[in-house]
Amino acid sequence: MVSDQDKALKFYTEVLGFVKKIEVPMGEHKWLTVVSREEQGGVELLLEPMGFEPAKTFQKELFKAGIPLTAFHVDDVEMEYKRLTQQGVIFSMKPTQMGPTKIAVFNDTCGNNIQLVQML
Amino acid sequence: MTFYATQVLKMEKAIYPKKHLTRQLIQSKHFIDQHFGKPLQLDQIAAEGFLSKFYFVRLFKSLYGCSPYQYLIWVRIENAKQLLGAGFSLSDVCTAVGFESVTSFIGLFKKMTGYTPASYQKKNSNLREPGFRKN
Repeated sequence: MVSDQDKALKFYTEVLGFVKKIEVPMGEHKWLTVVSREEQGGVELLLEPMGFEPAKTFQKELFKAGIPLTAFHVDDVEMEYKRLTQQGVIFSMKPTQMGPTKIAVFNDTCGNNIQLVQML
Repeated sequence: MTFYATQVLKMEKAIYPKKHLTRQLIQSKHFIDQHFGKPLQLDQIAAEGFLSKFYFVRLFKSLYGCSPYQYLIWVRIENAKQLLGAGFSLSDVCTAVGFESVTSFIGLFKKMTGYTPASYQKKNSNLREPGFRKN
């Protein structure tokens, strides 16, 4: 769920490095998906417009509590943290070890916290 | 600090109290990551983390959610996918990722990806750089 689809597309492609897969206009909004650059035939991430009023409350409360809406697996959390902070991305949780994983949480600028996960 | 960050720190202390064991286990896992292309014995992997093999298997399952053998197979298949995608031949990939038999490689590859190595390679060939062929 994103508050602004155009802003989200810019962030997810230009900052995070995803690749746009589908963009179909659907009235006020669009069916908009991105995929991993390394696996363009893989799972698609839907940048879904915020068109349902109760969902706004849900998103707002999750964000306030710092809870990630979703998580992306990466090879090196420290490296991604460095790369993304250099591009101005704000992290609510710096790289932190949690048992056999290392995690970090950032703001996607569209109303969500996103978690990065690395299996150590 | 956010509510989530506080919860993560609490959980870390509660679920993984023995940091040295986590460290030792990660060391053994890294050994798999670095040597998956060679024939690996359980004793050898466990010894890398200074753990007995029975304790190592139990600990590995509790931290990673699968057995060390299942993880080793997963690493081999993931690497095989990359090599197949880059255009290497089936037999070269099979040897490079540590399988001794092409038959068992094909069987495990199909079980884990839903494709035979050949069909996976065909499916992903359009993602390759033009003219890039190694087989």
